[in-house]
Amino acid sequence: MSCHRTADIVADYFDARLSPPARLAVQQHVSTCTDCRAEVAALAPAHELLLSWQQQPVPEWDRSHGPAAHQPRQPLVRRRPRPTWGHVGRWLPLAASLVLSVAVLTQTRLDVSAQGWQLSFGTSAAERQLQQLDGYLAEQARVQQQENQQMLEAALQQFGDNTADTLVQMADWFEQQRALDIQRMEAGFQQMLDRDYQTVNSVQQLASYVQYQGDLP
Amino acid sequence: MEPDNELIANALNGSLHAWETLVRRYEGRVYNYSLRLTGNRDDALDLMQDVFLGVYRNLSRFRGESQFISWLFRIAHNKAVDLARRRHANPVKGQALPEDPDAWPESQSSGSQWPGSQTSDSGPQELAMAIESNVAIHRLLQALSPEQRLILELKVFQGMTFDEIAMMQEISANTAKTRFYAALKKLRALMEGHHELSPNR
Repeated sequence: MSCHRTADIVADYFDARLSPPARLAVQQHVSTCTDCRAEVAALAPAHELLLSWQQQPVPEWDRSHGPAAHQPRQPLVRRRPRPTWGHVGRWLPLAASLVLSVAVLTQTRLDVSAQGWQLSFGTSAAERQLQQLDGYLAEQARVQQQENQQMLEAALQQFGDNTADTLVQMADWFEQQRALDIQRMEAGFQQMLDRDYQTVNSVQQLASYVQYQGDLP
Repeated sequence: MEPDNELIANALNGSLHAWETLVRRYEGRVYNYSLRLTGNRDDALDLMQDVFLGVYRNLSRFRGESQFISWLFRIAHNKAVDLARRRHANPVKGQALPEDPDAWPESQSSGSQWPGSQTSDSGPQELAMAIESNVAIHRLLQALSPEQRLILELKVFQGMTFDEIAMMQEISANTAKTRFYAALKKLRALMEGHHELSPNR
């Protein structure tokens, strides 16, 4: 397909409402342009098929269906004026839900206390609650820490006491052993000294005897 | 013959006679349009009633700036699209009935715009159009997109000019022509697959 006008030409060619001068121009183009001629020939059966539709008669039906099902709107228009308290009743639920929505959206908080009542909006209330919560948490942590410390101290105390008892017993035992050792050592030394003394005496006796033998002629 | 605008004005003033005259003037076009889309008498009657109810409800909004027929067919097209959507969402008839051995593959693969009319109740005797070409046209149109169906309907069956169609659909006349050309090509391609439909045979 090289002719850029084909869509236009085909549409006009099958257009029953085309003006006579335009029809002449289209027919002239189709007679000279092979592309458009081929396309018109190819699509003609489709167009013919559509034109072969056999118009069917409309069965009997209720033509007043529309007006019967749809009453004129005058009653609605007549009802509109007269502002009464009925209107308030109609808008009250909407207004109430609107106020509630605004309250929810702005995080409105109503605090009632002995000093009276206080209305707060937005995040301030939430922040205050958050601060309170932080306070509680800090307090809780402090109490927990104190308890832990006391428990640890008690445990250490007990452990220390036990250890001290054992050390004292050990020290006593060592002391006793040392005293015994000293006594034994002293006894040993005494024996050694006694023997030394005896040896010295023996040597003196021997010397005096040797001298006595020497003095003899 | 009273002009459309006069009948509309009288109908708006409560004249049942004016309304019925207006309906009789256009009911043939709307009924045959509905028949081409739905393929059977009952559905076509339902759609036509729906269209005229829509026309009556909106009559006060018709300004007379465009042709009554294009205004009418805008409503008709919307009602047809609504109906197709309803059936597509809830195809009770299509589920309950056995498959039609004569059903066309195009019809079934086209997103089934009219599932109810494809099943056994779409036989020629039920179509209320024992004419072979009417059955063929109905089935071929089913295989087109709603946009393509509309352009062929307005151009071939309602005889509107491309300028009128362009104004009604708020597109350019060139776009309308291109759509018409594409729809005709699609129709021809569908016919190629089913030689028994070609009027030349």
